[in-house]
Amino acid sequence: MKNITDLNLVRQYLLGRLDEQADLEDNVSDGILFNDEMTDIVDSIEDEIIEEYLEGSLSSVDREAVDKYFLQPPERQEKLRFAKLLKHHFETKPSRYSGTKHENFVRPPVPWLSHFRTYGQFAALVLLIFSTLIYVNGVRRSQGRLESELVQERERSSNLVKEAELLQPSMVPLTLVADRSRGAEIPIPQVKIKSSTRRIIVEIALQGGPSGPYDVRLETKEGKGPLWSARLSPLISSSGDARLLFDLPSRGIESDVYSLVVSSPTGALRHYDFQAKLAK
Amino acid sequence: MVQRGARRALTAEGFGKFLRWLSENDELAVREYQSIRMKLVRYFIHKGCSDPDDLFDKTVDVVVGKIDTCGECPSPLAYCYGVAKNIWRQDLRERKSAPPAALEEHMALPVYPDPQIHEQELKCLEHCMDQLVPGDRDIVARYHQGQGHEKIETRRRLADGLGGVNALRIRMCRIRKDLRVCVAACVDQWAN
Repeated sequence: MKNITDLNLVRQYLLGRLDEQADLEDNVSDGILFNDEMTDIVDSIEDEIIEEYLEGSLSSVDREAVDKYFLQPPERQEKLRFAKLLKHHFETKPSRYSGTKHENFVRPPVPWLSHFRTYGQFAALVLLIFSTLIYVNGVRRSQGRLESELVQERERSSNLVKEAELLQPSMVPLTLVADRSRGAEIPIPQVKIKSSTRRIIVEIALQGGPSGPYDVRLETKEGKGPLWSARLSPLISSSGDARLLFDLPSRGIESDVYSLVVSSPTGALRHYDFQAKLAK
Repeated sequence: MVQRGARRALTAEGFGKFLRWLSENDELAVREYQSIRMKLVRYFIHKGCSDPDDLFDKTVDVVVGKIDTCGECPSPLAYCYGVAKNIWRQDLRERKSAPPAALEEHMALPVYPDPQIHEQELKCLEHCMDQLVPGDRDIVARYHQGQGHEKIETRRRLADGLGGVNALRIRMCRIRKDLRVCVAACVDQWAN
């Protein structure tokens, strides 16, 4: 798979400008998907777009593309939110990290040659350079080894971060056994939704009934909705127990009581209430 | 909550069939599934889709329906990607024909309603900044230093020191990612 070297092309791709150019769009998509080395590059261009968006330095055409295309995925909205948080942090606490090292770094270049204008001084410098040559070579070798170790360490650290991201639990289980007709007999089940949660894996134990498809919809406890709906076939075990197993998207669910309304093929309705709690 | 309409959920049977197609070995199948999922969700994010997870599920739905007829398949990723491209094109057509109001609805950026959480995030960010290795902390601090021309100059010097503008961008991108992961974990820990 060939490398994509034109970073502006990637930028145009991320802003949705290649969507109407099938061949070009395919090339860039393929290049990004099948070449892991492109991951960092694409991520950094995404960050650059977000930064320019925050700074207000995008052209009006680019800004419109960001609003209407680039920022549609929740993941990018989250990236933007974090960039705002970071910006806010450094705007309100700039002095927290200001140390002497900064002064060294931003110091304007000193016209050092002006200090050695005479031949005598220059000769002394040459002598000094030769006398320390062996020492410098030794330091360089040592520095090269350290740099190589640093690169390996950084790669290991980067892999660990990626693994950590994969390990973040993105699904939470929710088992519903008793429907609303059981009243206050059984406490209402709770599901805790963290920022990393994407799906709620729901299991509803059916109390007998036909094996045909069931209509399931999500409502607020007051009956507003449906917020989500699906037609599902139950899973039936060898002992005849029937249950519905499905996943709900957690996006948009707030700390509140919701109800899953299950409609059987015979038309019987059952309400399974649960309480969602957004983890602070 | 945005109503997303009726959606066909992948059954346990379908999911099992997909995993078996990926590998006979459970562990390898799950690993392959996670890898394909990560790549295709990223693909849908790159394509500006508002619900990348849902489009991935649709992709798997279609693939499961075709497993029995697709014959020899040298690369499950390539096969799923081919299906994903069609799903994206269909989604793009639907987005274009959607009324403008739908776009405005999506434009609302997520904001935590609870100022306590925002406050905690800032505290966590301070903690995570302290956890960075000194070199990275120094880079991110300098990167955000100053305003206007001073900021441009500082970043130019940073880039010179790191081997160019692209090297600086990639380094900053990795540091931001580290910070995001650290802050999310810290906020979760605080919440529990």
